[in-house]
Amino acid sequence: MNNTKLTVSHAPFWHDGDNLFKKNLNFMLALLPAAIFGILQFGAPALGVMALSLSCAMLWELVINLVSKKPATIGDLEAAVIGLLFGMMLPAITPWWLIVVGTFVAVFVGKMIFGGIGSSPFNPTLLGMAVLMMSWKMFFDFDTAYVDYEFAFTALAPLAAVKTQGAAAADLFTLGDLFMGREVGAVGATFGLGLIIGGIYLILRGYARWELSVSFIAGILITAFLFHAASPQNYAGPLFHLLSGYTLLGAFFLITESASSPVNRIPMLLYGFLGGVVIILMRNIGAYADGTILAILLVNVVSPLLDNIRPNALGRGMNNA
Amino acid sequence: MAQSLAKEFTKGLWAEIPPFRLVLGLCPTLAVTKSVENGIGMGLATTFVLVFSNLLISLLRNVIPPKVRIACYIVIIATFVTIVELVMQAYTYPLFLTLGIFIPLIVVNCIVLGRAEAFASKNTPVLAVADGLGIGIGFTLSLASLGAVREIIGAGTITIWGGNPVFAVGDWYHPFSFMVEAPGAFVALGLMLAGMNLIGKK
Amino acid sequence: MREMISMIVVLTLLASVSGGLLAAVKSGTELRIEEQVLKFQKAPAIESLFSDVTNDPLKERFTLDTGDRTLQIFPGKMKDGSRAVAFETSGKGGYGGDIGLMVGINVDSDQLVGARVTTHAETPGLGSRAKDDLTFVSQFNSRPLDANLALKADNGSIDAISGATVTSRAVTRAAIQAQELYSQLKPEILKQIQ
Repeated sequence: MNNTKLTVSHAPFWHDGDNLFKKNLNFMLALLPAAIFGILQFGAPALGVMALSLSCAMLWELVINLVSKKPATIGDLEAAVIGLLFGMMLPAITPWWLIVVGTFVAVFVGKMIFGGIGSSPFNPTLLGMAVLMMSWKMFFDFDTAYVDYEFAFTALAPLAAVKTQGAAAADLFTLGDLFMGREVGAVGATFGLGLIIGGIYLILRGYARWELSVSFIAGILITAFLFHAASPQNYAGPLFHLLSGYTLLGAFFLITESASSPVNRIPMLLYGFLGGVVIILMRNIGAYADGTILAILLVNVVSPLLDNIRPNALGRGMNNA
Repeated sequence: MAQSLAKEFTKGLWAEIPPFRLVLGLCPTLAVTKSVENGIGMGLATTFVLVFSNLLISLLRNVIPPKVRIACYIVIIATFVTIVELVMQAYTYPLFLTLGIFIPLIVVNCIVLGRAEAFASKNTPVLAVADGLGIGIGFTLSLASLGAVREIIGAGTITIWGGNPVFAVGDWYHPFSFMVEAPGAFVALGLMLAGMNLIGKK
Repeated sequence: MREMISMIVVLTLLASVSGGLLAAVKSGTELRIEEQVLKFQKAPAIESLFSDVTNDPLKERFTLDTGDRTLQIFPGKMKDGSRAVAFETSGKGGYGGDIGLMVGINVDSDQLVGARVTTHAETPGLGSRAKDDLTFVSQFNSRPLDANLALKADNGSIDAISGATVTSRAVTRAAIQAQELYSQLKPEILKQIQ
């Protein structure tokens, strides 16, 4: 395979001026509406969680750069995006040490060990989250996390309520409430409208691929619809699943992570769809209330396999003898 | 003679330390190192098997016909493994329960068969015993150190022997229990391998 | 031909020496292993079942033949003068293999004293709750011998552990097996404990 030289087109090539820094800046910009809403809803602790998480992630990357005697790479803001996303997936009262450990796992084990940016087989943010959830499950119980808060809406985590009380609990939450973030959850994952606006912005700017988001959402809707149609008293409806938990954050910001997702259109569509199906399977059949994190990590593993579906190279191959 | 004896013994402690340098015997390494105690127990059991199977195979190396040598080695190794299993069951029953299936699995541990085939069948009994002892102690040390890392981070304690921790971090510590779960074993082993390579490179 | 013979001779010799050695070790450690199994697996369950007996059930144990295997039976004299026996059955089809269940039965009132899980290989935190959390097995306490001890999901009367139905079902199988064994063995048990 390596002995064939492929002719692409003639030089000169043209650079459109884009770079990692701009990409990640836009990424954070797109996350802002949901993040700001989280601060308004959950108060200063939410700001603290996100700020600590963001700065910790960048600091860890700098430390690892220094220890491994490699040039500092925090300037590309990749670590900042990991940190911000990480903070947005936590409840507002998360203890500080949890964030310090979690960002270390995300940046070190999730990203730097595999060779830094673009080389991670798993989404670093999700890897950190999964490890934390395995170790300290009690801090991710959104019902007990917000026990000191007074809310003007049902103060129950929607997915956990459905898991423990059955699909009837889904009626406690109106879709409008879920859409406008009037629910209990992670600081940056509740505001559906903000996440959708941010996601569409990213897609329009070309930083996230629409194939991934659309097929992911389609996978969720179709699978949840089938479950709901088969037995409405056991399984909540598709729109409830779409608007609760980490689903929208996952659809626009997590599954679209470029290093761990496939590169061609058909694999991307399959990849997103598979992710959506696995999430609903985990929620409806599995032991976890919200399967988003594990489901996306699971399809990360499938990604290299899906990459085998690719078009034949155009043009003539020449043996490089 | 004394010099080569020392060489065969010490190579197992660093240059050919089994899980880290040879990357052999990973099944027990990953599976039982939830605590230092488990690591030491597994390591000692393997050392016993290694020393005696090496000795016997080296003694019989001119008698065993080459065509059935692997079958003979397995018979010898399995005998010693079963002895270890029975003795552990009789005297250290709680440890036997935690190590469980991994004791009989020493039979197919590639370190034991590897030493028999690569070393004991070609060398004198004294050298073979030194080799088995060195590799066995190296294996025990690696398992104990991996167990120590995982136990102190994952449970906040150090248990050397007998089920009671000799050291506990304290109540303020929220155990990072990921490290004592199965995926934590892979991450811990990977990081320790990387550390060994970092030190070895200099 | 010579090589052939030497191969056969060496392998046969090795195998028989190894067999002899193992037989010696086995018979040397057999008693001690039995004691250890009793001490670490059965004793805690029996002590927890017969918390107020006036005798030593472990010392007074005897064995009965059930046809296809021998059963160790631990007799207990309750404080109120009634007699009880405990024995271990195993429930097929747990998540990680069979589950051992020590069942105590009061011989005079034909009621279950209770049940405790002894050996299992269930998932820690899920199925292992059958052993660690006594609320599940305490459902067997004081049940009459003819009670239906299947899970509620199987039209019985026992609540499954949430999230561990497979484990719970295996435990109830062991309990049902104990009922059958007891009704089959009762005459002999009565003869033995007088």
